[in-house]
Amino acid sequence: MLDIIFVTLVVAAIITFFVGRKTAAVIAIAASILPLLALADWAGLYGFKLFDFLHLGVETSAELSVAGATLQLGITPISWFFGIMIMSLFPAIMLFSYSFFKKNDGFYPFMLLALFATMGILLAKDMLAFFLFWEMMSWSSFLLVWRNGDRKATISYLVFSAFSAFLILFGILLLYSQFNSLLFSDLALRPNAECVVALASMAAGFAVKGVLMPFHSWAPAVYSKSDEPFVAFLAGGLSKLGYYGMFVFLFILSGAKVMDSYFGGISPSYLLAVLGALSAFIATLLAFMQDDLRKLLAYSSIGQLGYIAVGFGIGTPLAISGALFQAFNHAFFKAVLFLAAGAVAYRTGKWRISELGGVAYKMPMTFMAALFAIFTLAAIPITSGFAAKWLLYEAAIDARYIFVAPVMLIAGVGAFLYSFRILYGVFLGGNCHPDIKEAPVTMVAAMFLLVIPLLIFLVFPGKMLDMMSPALSNLGITGISHTDYVITTGLASYNTLAVIGVLLGAMIPAFLIYKGRSHRVVPFEDNYLAAEPPALHEGVSMHAANHFYKPIEDVLMPYLSHGADSFYNVIYGGLKALSNAIRRIYTGFSNDYAMYVVVFFLIIAGWLIWM
Amino acid sequence: MDVSIIVKIAVLAAYALVGTSVGLLFGGIGRKIIARVHNRVGPPFYQNFIDVAKLLGKKTNISHGWIFDLALLFSVSGILLTLLFLPIGGVKLMSTEGDAFLVLYLLAIPSLGFALGSGASANPNAGIGVMRALVMMLSYELPFVITMIALMIYYDTTSIATIMESQRHTWAIFIPPFILAAAVADMALQGMLMESPFDIPMAPHEIASGPMVEFGGKYLGSLMIYKAVALVVETTLFVDLFLGGGVILHGGGVVAGIVNFISWMLLTFIVFVIAILINTSFPRFRIEQAFKFYWKYEAVAAVISLVWVYYMVIS
Repeated sequence: MLDIIFVTLVVAAIITFFVGRKTAAVIAIAASILPLLALADWAGLYGFKLFDFLHLGVETSAELSVAGATLQLGITPISWFFGIMIMSLFPAIMLFSYSFFKKNDGFYPFMLLALFATMGILLAKDMLAFFLFWEMMSWSSFLLVWRNGDRKATISYLVFSAFSAFLILFGILLLYSQFNSLLFSDLALRPNAECVVALASMAAGFAVKGVLMPFHSWAPAVYSKSDEPFVAFLAGGLSKLGYYGMFVFLFILSGAKVMDSYFGGISPSYLLAVLGALSAFIATLLAFMQDDLRKLLAYSSIGQLGYIAVGFGIGTPLAISGALFQAFNHAFFKAVLFLAAGAVAYRTGKWRISELGGVAYKMPMTFMAALFAIFTLAAIPITSGFAAKWLLYEAAIDARYIFVAPVMLIAGVGAFLYSFRILYGVFLGGNCHPDIKEAPVTMVAAMFLLVIPLLIFLVFPGKMLDMMSPALSNLGITGISHTDYVITTGLASYNTLAVIGVLLGAMIPAFLIYKGRSHRVVPFEDNYLAAEPPALHEGVSMHAANHFYKPIEDVLMPYLSHGADSFYNVIYGGLKALSNAIRRIYTGFSNDYAMYVVVFFLIIAGWLIWM
Repeated sequence: MDVSIIVKIAVLAAYALVGTSVGLLFGGIGRKIIARVHNRVGPPFYQNFIDVAKLLGKKTNISHGWIFDLALLFSVSGILLTLLFLPIGGVKLMSTEGDAFLVLYLLAIPSLGFALGSGASANPNAGIGVMRALVMMLSYELPFVITMIALMIYYDTTSIATIMESQRHTWAIFIPPFILAAAVADMALQGMLMESPFDIPMAPHEIASGPMVEFGGKYLGSLMIYKAVALVVETTLFVDLFLGGGVILHGGGVVAGIVNFISWMLLTFIVFVIAILINTSFPRFRIEQAFKFYWKYEAVAAVISLVWVYYMVIS
């Protein structure tokens, strides 16, 4: 059964090369449901009876022979959890792209290949399979970036992916040289220099894919210059693979403890927590200063992924639960937000927040999906986003991380700022697009499909903790005590049902006030400033959302301009100068080349004589 | 339905009503105090009740569509929700079902609802006002959050009810590092209450009351209720965190309940009057000045108290 799924995905990828765009989308949707069926079937292994009528009997492990090497595949609790998270995005994103693309030009084949590779990464039980599928994922996503033809985005994605692959391969080879086996089960990590260097290098490699600062520089360029459905999958799904890799190598293979004992009890994972918190903080500050909606979402993505790193860095059961919960939420809300951005761009053709506005009245369904995603992103209580962040805050206080906790909390407040930037600049505010329609029904359906899991875990945050408990017990830690509605930690408890109940109760007086007197609805342009001209000069943007956070931008920009980007620019400048110097060898004159040959032989001759 | 649940609902409803009335009363007294400092007679102390009743009874109400209506629905319900998750005068209400982080985030519900509604009106003043309010939030939350974390680490809990109970013998404000923390939190409170010098988001003379500019009738009335309850919520948060929630008599009983309620009311009133007196004596900051004030001086003071507490705890 497992081989059928793998083969079907490849065959589907090949077929979608040759068929029309709509057929390709349908094939992609159909093919991407297969991995989900397998995951649903495996749910029985971990005590979840999802579909009783469904007994596919998908095998839990398999061997794959490629060019003489045998790759070991198999399902583990943690890969099941990440699989549910990443794979369920895919059919909805394909549904969205049904009407998004004007023609079929290579989007679906590479997306299906990326899905195939993702499945391989999650099922890999040896390092060779892991690395092969990892490279396949990197390359198929690289081709998806490349097909939009933006030079900067393509090159930065290529360079960072290659860098990440190099670091991971280096780590794998170091581990192989030590244990002489590629199987995960044969690795028994010891606190010695090789293991520590290998793990550190792999963690850095995974951090590139997980867009952790300071390895984030590729993300804003790539996210803002690729197709939205792909970016939704890249930000929502593929970025989690970095954290999956980190989880497998740092926790499952008990690396964090190995590193702790190597450094004499000083925890190097504290560095991961600090980087995650700084990533959340700085990316949040950068996010609300962006004018390009996609760049804003890219920085927001970097920030939200930072929380996962914080959770892994703290490493207590509380923190890991919070991190996994946050990863799950982020997959869905960020996919919805990128798809909503795509839907808005599909109708208006605009990306810049200062050129958008008033879209909510024309595209109410898109607005509602985006609004809910934003509530989850901003961790407004009772959304599952709050439960996840709450666990992380509790973990930071519990572990007494006095630097990480406030930085993470203030980044949470910063999220309100860019959330409102999206709401006000794109959906509310001035009416820039009077003659647009609601997004096509497939797009709206796709966004609402992705909202469903967020709604489920809004009511039952405990169910999410149930879902990750096999993964945690695989790790040898017990999950935190909870019921479906109440999460209890050593410090406090959080009861969703109580909050929902009181909110509904508090709605009663609000509703009575609302219904007390009737109101008249007037167009939103009909306001106190209605008589003022919208634009006095051609080309001068009078939009209130243009440079929305100008005062704070002026204060912060001097501090933020010396970041990782300028460091990479220095490296880039140095390499460019070096390459220029090397280029001078090729002068284009044949007599120069003849001279090089003569000089070469003279050196050889001199060396031989001297010998 | 269980009787205890009905009793609980009745108690919550009563406290919602009490919170609203106390807020309106304090607001009225605050207006009177400001007037006396300005050497005016000022409105009677019950003026806010009259205003709210008048606004809610208006026949003409202008809305800008369903998103605009969210402001009314979310601001009133969100702030009442926050109120009920705080212990008031020793009565824990719902505060055992959540903690300080929950309250911090619950406070965002009414503000975001309010911001959505004012954004829906397409009035640039409203947009600018909300921008200022959000920047203010980012500014004062940093020192406030740091002081809150100091308290959490000292008492080893994140629950406000437990923090309050742990102050049974000594209020936090009498412990050396928290004298500094309380001073910091009080200035953060000044920003939260949007009193001068931090009344930047409303700034009636600059941006025509900012976010409120398009609201009238029942919408403005509901925002007045929001503001009144927010006053109670924010001062109570300070009292619960630093002044032991105003609890003087421990153990149950009607007498203890009444005494504690009165002392809670007195303490919140004192905290509010301090804010009002600062309000009357200072002109308005510009938004970037406020930001720098909170992130430079306030944050440094807050960090000092946090580090101090951290060393007290680990040693």
